[in-house]
Amino acid sequence: MKGMKFLLSILKYLFVLTIIVLSIGPFIWVFISSFKTNAEILNYSIGWPQSFKISNYLMAFKIAPLTQFYLNSVIVGIFGTILNLIILGMSAYVIARFDFKGKKAIVGICSLSLLIPGAAMLQPLYLTVNTLGLYDKLIGLVIVYAGFGLPASLYIISSYFQTIPKEMEESASLDGAGFIRTFVSIILPIAKPGFGTAAVLQFLLCWNEFQFAITLTTGNKSRTLPLALYYFKSQFASDYGVMFAATVIVIIPSIIVYMLLQKQVVSGLAAGAVKG
Amino acid sequence: MAKNKGYIALFLIPTIILFVVVYAVSIVILAGTSFTEWATGTKPVFIGLSNYIKMFTDDSDFTRSLINTVIWIILQSTAHVFIGVLFAIILNMKEFYWKFARTVFMIPNIISGAAVGMLFLCILNPEFGAINSIIRLFGFKDFSQNWFMDYRTSFFSVTMTWLPYAAVVTILVLAEIAAIPEGLFESARIDGASEIKVNLYIVLPLLRNIIGTCVILSGTSMLQKLDIIMMTTGGGPGNQTMNLPMYIYKTALMDNNFGYSNTVGTFLVVFGIVLVLLYRRIFKIGNSDT
Repeated sequence: MKGMKFLLSILKYLFVLTIIVLSIGPFIWVFISSFKTNAEILNYSIGWPQSFKISNYLMAFKIAPLTQFYLNSVIVGIFGTILNLIILGMSAYVIARFDFKGKKAIVGICSLSLLIPGAAMLQPLYLTVNTLGLYDKLIGLVIVYAGFGLPASLYIISSYFQTIPKEMEESASLDGAGFIRTFVSIILPIAKPGFGTAAVLQFLLCWNEFQFAITLTTGNKSRTLPLALYYFKSQFASDYGVMFAATVIVIIPSIIVYMLLQKQVVSGLAAGAVKG
Repeated sequence: MAKNKGYIALFLIPTIILFVVVYAVSIVILAGTSFTEWATGTKPVFIGLSNYIKMFTDDSDFTRSLINTVIWIILQSTAHVFIGVLFAIILNMKEFYWKFARTVFMIPNIISGAAVGMLFLCILNPEFGAINSIIRLFGFKDFSQNWFMDYRTSFFSVTMTWLPYAAVVTILVLAEIAAIPEGLFESARIDGASEIKVNLYIVLPLLRNIIGTCVILSGTSMLQKLDIIMMTTGGGPGNQTMNLPMYIYKTALMDNNFGYSNTVGTFLVVFGIVLVLLYRRIFKIGNSDT
């Protein structure tokens, strides 16, 4: 019995260790290798670099217009999130607070949109965006991403509104505040945490999205960061150290955002997932 | 109340416009043009069911994509969910490492699929990749397996880029375990039940619903996987690692065969809906047992 217990706990630690190694092992190895020279990479793939040189990083920015891609990602991330929150904050409020004809239908149809796999919409959205004259423009990506986050944000924000007691609005309307003023100056400030959760989830969606970014843009002026790795894979291929550095450059912001906003990221992913 | 009506409409209109532009129009284009012959620069020409007939009877790439997608759905709804649940139960013992492990496990889920693909391209590189280098350290001097481009290993390699990363499952299950009343554990422990027995007979049955959700979630996520495949194999070698999204991308944007790609897209939507209904049914049957 005791031996059995011992064996089980060994297995448990082995499993935990495997998971941890699989989760950060690849990144740590790429990170360390990003400071190596080509010769070091080929001859001592496992091990420390002789010195921590940042020349690979400088080279990565030289080979690919990473600064431009960065800027594009930031713009798309910020505006894709703001647009999504404004539009869905409004509808989530009336859905959470009022009864009206067709409410069930609207909520139902919005959650149906979760059933449509993104890949199926590749060509149709390409056509729509092209027809609207938004092809290869950042605003095209902003609108499409705001739409992709529609079901998750609607769900997260409206559930938060539902936790706010109705008395808040009743006393506001007794004081003579109108619909818009009640919404903007009473409800919105209280609902900040709900918006925060939705915002983090939406920002990650915009920041990481790949298939539509590649479909709806051409040329470097509106490409986002995830595409950098795809397009410069072949340019980087001759210079492994630079390839590693570029990979680290793309990954680091996500990890920083995650470390800073861990609670929101976790609750956002959980809430967004359950809705699916 | 009546004067609010105008405001209610005003607050709903932006969402409705967004929904129409992104989803409704797409679905109409998708289904409508799936019955046409249509390439870039030409007008769609109605050809009836020809695309569908070709897809089901005379397209080995489609068949391979469908089979791969189904295999990945099955693996993801079983092995992937199992890893996530097991990890949650272990973390819930709250041993010294649990917060660190939870944080670290999340990382592959928050970085972009393209970056995950790139990480795997690096560590599985035949010349300098970490995996081959480690194997060489064990004495296989000339080991240079090309993991992604060798027929024997490509499917396995692609699968490994997502199968172990079940952090979302772990988080959902951990939240559910936290909601179990403490009294249940205590009374079981007083009765002398071991930690394993508590988990097996008390915790697991209470997790049935959330595990069902996780299975649906993980399974349907396989209808979306495109970025990692594009980064690593592009569906190759041959069509070894082709799945339905990759095939749609290839027909639409590389072969410019819009009509046909929308036929496959329509199939993907219907397939997804059937899958969800099937899952719901399986877990309903499960519920009525208790």
